[in-house]
Amino acid sequence: MATAPYIELHAHSAFSFLDGASTPTELAAAAAERGYPAFALTDHDGVWGSMEFAHACKGFGVRPITGAELTVSAPTRSRFEPLCDSNLDHPPSAAHLTLLVEDAAGYRNLCRLLTQAHSHTRQKKTLRCSFPTNSAGKEQRSGPGQPAVTLEQVEEHAGGLVCLSGCARDGAVAGAWARGDPAGAAAFARRLLAVFGRERFRIELQRPYWRHDRARNRWLAGLAERLGVPCVATGDVHSHSRRRARLQDAFVATRLGTTLEASEPRRRGNRSSALASPAAMAKRFAEHPAAVAETRRLAERLCFDLTAELGYRYPGSENPGADRELAGVCAARLSERYAGSPHRAEAEARLEAELATIGKLGLAGFFLLHRDLLELAREVALEVRGPESARAVLPPGRGRGSSVSSIVCYLTGLSHVDPVKARLFPGRFLNDEATSMPDIDLDFPRDIREVLIPRVHDRYGADRSALVAAFPTYRPRGAVRDLGKALALPPAEIERVAKTVGFHERSGEIERDVVAAIGAERAAAHGWRVLIGLTGEAMGLPRHASQHPGGMVISTRPLLDVCPVVPAAMAGRQIVQWDKDSCDDAGFLKIDLLGLGMLSAVERCVEEAGRARGERLDLSRIPLDDAETYESIRAAETTGVFQIESRAQMQMLPRTRPRDLDDLTVQVALVRPGPIQGGAVHPYIERRKRLREDPAYEVPYEHPLLEPVLRDTLGTIVYQEQVLEAAMALAGFSSAEAEGLRRAMSRKRSEAAIRGYHDAFVAGAAGRGVPEATAERVWAQIQGFSGFGFPKAHSAAFGLLAYQSAWLRIHYAPEFLCALLNEQPMGFYPPDALAHEAQRRGIRLAPPDANRSRVLCHVEAPRRGPGEGLPTDGRDRPAAGSELRGGLHVRIGLGYVKGVREEEMRALVAERDRGGAYRDVADLASRSGAGRDGLERLAWAGALDELTEAAPGETWSRFESHSGSNLDHPGGERRAGGRRRALWEAGAAATGRRHGEGTQMALPLETPGAPELEPLGAWGEAIADYGSTGMTLGEHPMALMRDGLGAELARSDDLERIDDGAIVEVAGMVVARQRPETAKGIVFMLLEDERGTVNLIVPPPVYDRHRAEVRTSPLVRARGRLERREGTINVLVSAVTKLHWTQMSEVAPPGHSFGRRQGASPKRPKPVS
Amino acid sequence: MRPGPRRLYAPRRVAVEAGEEGIPTAVEGTEVVAVREEWLVEDRWWAPRRLRRHYFELILIDGRDIVVFRDGSRRWHRQRA
Repeated sequence: MATAPYIELHAHSAFSFLDGASTPTELAAAAAERGYPAFALTDHDGVWGSMEFAHACKGFGVRPITGAELTVSAPTRSRFEPLCDSNLDHPPSAAHLTLLVEDAAGYRNLCRLLTQAHSHTRQKKTLRCSFPTNSAGKEQRSGPGQPAVTLEQVEEHAGGLVCLSGCARDGAVAGAWARGDPAGAAAFARRLLAVFGRERFRIELQRPYWRHDRARNRWLAGLAERLGVPCVATGDVHSHSRRRARLQDAFVATRLGTTLEASEPRRRGNRSSALASPAAMAKRFAEHPAAVAETRRLAERLCFDLTAELGYRYPGSENPGADRELAGVCAARLSERYAGSPHRAEAEARLEAELATIGKLGLAGFFLLHRDLLELAREVALEVRGPESARAVLPPGRGRGSSVSSIVCYLTGLSHVDPVKARLFPGRFLNDEATSMPDIDLDFPRDIREVLIPRVHDRYGADRSALVAAFPTYRPRGAVRDLGKALALPPAEIERVAKTVGFHERSGEIERDVVAAIGAERAAAHGWRVLIGLTGEAMGLPRHASQHPGGMVISTRPLLDVCPVVPAAMAGRQIVQWDKDSCDDAGFLKIDLLGLGMLSAVERCVEEAGRARGERLDLSRIPLDDAETYESIRAAETTGVFQIESRAQMQMLPRTRPRDLDDLTVQVALVRPGPIQGGAVHPYIERRKRLREDPAYEVPYEHPLLEPVLRDTLGTIVYQEQVLEAAMALAGFSSAEAEGLRRAMSRKRSEAAIRGYHDAFVAGAAGRGVPEATAERVWAQIQGFSGFGFPKAHSAAFGLLAYQSAWLRIHYAPEFLCALLNEQPMGFYPPDALAHEAQRRGIRLAPPDANRSRVLCHVEAPRRGPGEGLPTDGRDRPAAGSELRGGLHVRIGLGYVKGVREEEMRALVAERDRGGAYRDVADLASRSGAGRDGLERLAWAGALDELTEAAPGETWSRFESHSGSNLDHPGGERRAGGRRRALWEAGAAATGRRHGEGTQMALPLETPGAPELEPLGAWGEAIADYGSTGMTLGEHPMALMRDGLGAELARSDDLERIDDGAIVEVAGMVVARQRPETAKGIVFMLLEDERGTVNLIVPPPVYDRHRAEVRTSPLVRARGRLERREGTINVLVSAVTKLHWTQMSEVAPPGHSFGRRQGASPKRPKPVS
Repeated sequence: MRPGPRRLYAPRRVAVEAGEEGIPTAVEGTEVVAVREEWLVEDRWWAPRRLRRHYFELILIDGRDIVVFRDGSRRWHRQRA
């Protein structure tokens, strides 16, 4: 041990979740800087940050000590029992113990204790009241509990752990003394002594500079003497610097849900919990030098190394026959898949090489385990889809990520892309020098994944499998809300600022957001200045623990011996306390079972096509060269298409002009932070254009050594593995070194490591005769790539799904739209924009209707009046031989109506199927079992219009779809008074009464006739639509506003006829706004009007002037210069204004009900009297 | 004009002699024989006037137990505790 007089044995990181204000890495760096040779991390009830801390400490030359501050609870007590009791086996209420790991057995025990501490935290706690309540016999329920163990549990798992008696305020011993119960404190200390023994129990002294510190420590020292155990000093560190201590205060207020002012008793009151140097700490405890010396003695004993002593094994890792078994499986499948293929010989050679590598690395069991999982998924898929489903022909899931490059994965079913044909190479995924477990990621439709995850727990044991944790970190918006509340700033202003700040806003920009939202004068107020500073400090710190989207770890021995396992928020799921980086560092086998919305949508589309057309679609057999599909892709008509629907992709497609799957593979990978920051995008587009114009064009390369590895991407680095390949080709890196570089770039914590790789890269390149300037340019591209990028194999998998979804969009348009609407939320566009885009393509949509809609959206044959529609078979299916393409329309489901209960809608549809169509609102109310609230919501959504009778002389609203036809009325009109009348009748009808077990049906009493009600008007209809379903199928709001906006305003389709460089004014609903981190402050907006969409580019100075309008306005008007380039049109904006409701009222018919208060999307429909 | 509410236990300025490390050695000429407690309040940093007080609970040679603090301007005050 070095000569530091003091070792810190009690410190909290931000992984104590709102009770610690520094990352483990910040603590490790600060500990090294202040000269600590060893340092303990003891977060509350967890080791969430311990692996990061251990690795960071090693990097800084500090020996990490693993531990936790464990909460010990008293048994349930009546509120009338005294709080303090001198004869306790348990401390009064919950109290803390500091546990430090001495050896591997101690670590196992700590993991088990922490697992037990969390085991009840997601249960609904039932408290039986011991005092009279208003409702006799009723149980009072409270929210999920806090983690805690009993002392008996501690006693059971005390081996290998050193116990310190706890912190000054909440510690098991000191806390009891502070609450005026010295006898209880002493009794509890004696109990701990009996559990841990003299060797492993210490009385903990702290000096937080609170009043009574000295008295408490004198008393504790006396107690230690009486017990015959040493005292040990600790700092109870909560931040790595004094500056960060302010954030710690604010976090405490946030945790308690109150303000800084009101949380004063629970805050620390000063900055002494910031990390101090060993010398300063020794001085702080000058009255207790023995307690200081004890920190060093104890630290010497605490030698457990988390980075080396876990003893983790995955199932199958010890199977001696695994190599043979895997080779057998692959050989059999190769014969099938490559029978008669020109690639067979190459495939055999690839397989032999991969199996040799797998054998050398001892990973055969790893592949067999994945195969076993896929077989399990197959069983689950069959169960979920049902054997008769059109989806039954589809595989249960698909591979993604670098594993798609492996022929072993292809042959074992873990990938659906032939890596030989697609020229994918597994170096990134699998190589002889690999030092960590390869990643195999599998995508599943959401419904299959939901069932599969608990089934994995069943297969491998609930104690041997768990999901990986994820830690949502503070972003500007959340930080502004949490910290603004702590600072007691006005809630309305906080909300205004929160809505103005962007997701990727850097801390330096928050000040400008605050000024934009509330004005410079208010922003200069002291409270707001403080908030701006605190928000910057909080960014990136974990706020709470969550679950990874699908990462699972599986172990041969109980997982809770290697990492605590805690219940996840979703019932039946559990998570380990480490995120994917820590699991990776721990060498865990991590399997990603990911839910992919588009895969679900594609399956829904296949199923809907089967239901509506009686066709069984096999997507693996569709033509991969469909001209119409590629034409639509090149024209950027890709709304709703996987991966290539974003505004940025749509800008790119007319310029890159993809012709085949290889091109789509590049396309998917191109619009990513890696290639964008690495400067690959524009050279790639330009070179494709030059090649189109001149096939003899010679692609330039930075150096001839790079040509073999960058040929597919025309000399640019687009794929992740090209970083590795470029480093190997140009600088002679080994594959392990190159993989190390990639991993260093993928983690924020590795900047120092990246610098080291830079020097090796330049030196290696010089050794191969590459000029330094060239090496630096290539390094700049590589470093630019350090943002997120796809491996080629992943892009190939996604590119195929992009093509399949584009093909479905063309050939099964209504079904595809229907599937997208049913799988929301997903993709880039909200349902309203998807519906409008589809209407512009001629796809017809019909509003929710209690007599036609199902719970989900579905496609159906249109009803055009007797004899006018397509012939049907009576179950919404067109009869065989009907003209189908474009003949179906999408009926919005009743489940789309906001706020309705799904089970009520299911019952409504089931009753309709059973007893026939509802005659009127009274019949519906009587038979369906829907409550009044549900009926009113349906009425407001227009779903009951058809159940009301038209009033004598009733007018018709100009409600019509963009395609020029309303589906339920030949005249394209909708009864103007329908919604209000339906709402009135729903209010007057007798509805069923809900009970715990079901609904008691009401008598079918006739409702009195509705009085004369004023029609809603076009605006009223639109507002009701947005309020009830989030989308309008009637006239576009911009069409309703158009007359009042002035003739100078251009429509979206006018832009095609306006000259490049002209100044234009446009207006529309904001469909999307993005401020990518890679775009240097530029904001991209997508506006929608009644004819189409308009791309706006908002440069930083304009954004700075109009931040509030750009970030928050639902409808805007923009002025700027039209820019036309290679088939794309943008407006480079110079000014943005918000469209006000006053402008709308100028065009609205008199008497309509919308107003400022209701806004564009009222939360809940309000009955109109 | 009616006076506002009277503040109880308001600190009042006091003459304190302190040693090199800022530990009081005498209060208004009376020798300090023991420092019983010492604590820090660094709070209200979010308000325009932040609070920084270094408190000492002292036993004087005449047997009195008093509390004094030094504020952020290094001025000494006595406060009833």
